[in-house]
Amino acid sequence: MFGTLGYRPKSLIPTIRSTPNVEKVVFYCGADKHEPEAVKKVAEAKSAVLGYCKSLKIAVDAVELEDPFDFKGIALRIRGDIRKHKREGKDIGIFNIAGGTRPTSSAALLACILEGVPTVYVHDLTYEEIHLPLLRMEYSRILSGEEREMLRRLLKARPAEFTEVELARLVGKHKATVNHHLRNLVSKGVIRLESHSEDSRKRIVRVEESAELLLGDDS
Amino acid sequence: MSTFGGDDVDKVINAMRTLSYERLVLIGESSIDGSEGLREIELLEQLAGREVEVDHVDKQGFLEQVDAVSEALTKHIHDTASGSRNTVALNISGGSKILGDAALLAAFRIGIEAYHCAEKVTKLPVLKGANVVDMFTPLQTEFITCVGDRDLTLDEVVSRLGNKSRQSAERILRELRRAGILRTEIRTGKIRVSLSELGSELGRMIRMTRGERSVTRR
Repeated sequence: MFGTLGYRPKSLIPTIRSTPNVEKVVFYCGADKHEPEAVKKVAEAKSAVLGYCKSLKIAVDAVELEDPFDFKGIALRIRGDIRKHKREGKDIGIFNIAGGTRPTSSAALLACILEGVPTVYVHDLTYEEIHLPLLRMEYSRILSGEEREMLRRLLKARPAEFTEVELARLVGKHKATVNHHLRNLVSKGVIRLESHSEDSRKRIVRVEESAELLLGDDS
Repeated sequence: MSTFGGDDVDKVINAMRTLSYERLVLIGESSIDGSEGLREIELLEQLAGREVEVDHVDKQGFLEQVDAVSEALTKHIHDTASGSRNTVALNISGGSKILGDAALLAAFRIGIEAYHCAEKVTKLPVLKGANVVDMFTPLQTEFITCVGDRDLTLDEVVSRLGNKSRQSAERILRELRRAGILRTEIRTGKIRVSLSELGSELGRMIRMTRGERSVTRR
């Protein structure tokens, strides 16, 4: 099982208890390094969870987040880890997103939505577990193969910029075909078309930062 | 639109600076009314000749908050007065952790542009206008709507579907069961069909995407 941890071990431990046959616990934690009190509280919570897992003879991996307020960095890290586990043929039974900073919890939820991982929230006061009925957002079923390929190429080539014609050449497709896919991607808010600084007849294709999160480590 | 907790003005101001907007709507608990933070934002908007609208989300449970935020989003997307659709962008960084997470889930549920505006601004990978419902075929969504909160025999489902053959209905049933959307059991020699928890959630999303504002959790 995966989880996020802040000051309260009780936000994570109920899920370890209620999940049958947990082989390994991976949890993400971190505190603002400029706040000694926060660093101390997170260290205490981490130590409590490590101790609990040790007592139950469950393998545990505590992942220290460099910046627990960097939403995008955390989302990419967690999504990458989930994918790595899946590639290794391991099942992620549950992801508890109750603990940690607000950006950590939201980033974990985002990764779970994109990867279709069963997710649980623990109530702040009652410690009751709330299983979230998440349906995986499979963008592969919403974006066409050509659209995903264009996004991948654009992301890989950053910071290089392309006009529509240059992009068509890059992906080896006719300009009209590329134009059709680009219009779809613009309407879905994944890219923008901006005027060329030197030639107003040309348009530069700009990929939104969110495309990186959309494709994950596929990009 | 932005989630708001009363004391996290900076996050809302970041969102105001980052996103172009005509109207600002804050989503938060009733306790934000009369807060210093709300007064500050109201003053800023007054300088631009605008008023701040506040939508209250006072539900305790997580999923109830998701429903409440979804309802608020749907209300602002569909402009009933003019019958037109408004473009809504949502910032999820304000308010409590539970409200931010509920807003994130609601954004994916409805398919609206969403951001996490803190010191850094992150655009979330929500595709505008695309939501989970789009991953199901029209026939599959019709099947799910038809079952709804009921426990029906397959014959009853086929009859409710009207012009679909039993063979098509059985195929959809297999697909949805595999996806964990449907539960089936055999009772008194008949196949009985009902929605799983996930299926009920999908049913709610289908109703919301069709413009139903109040989709209660049973």
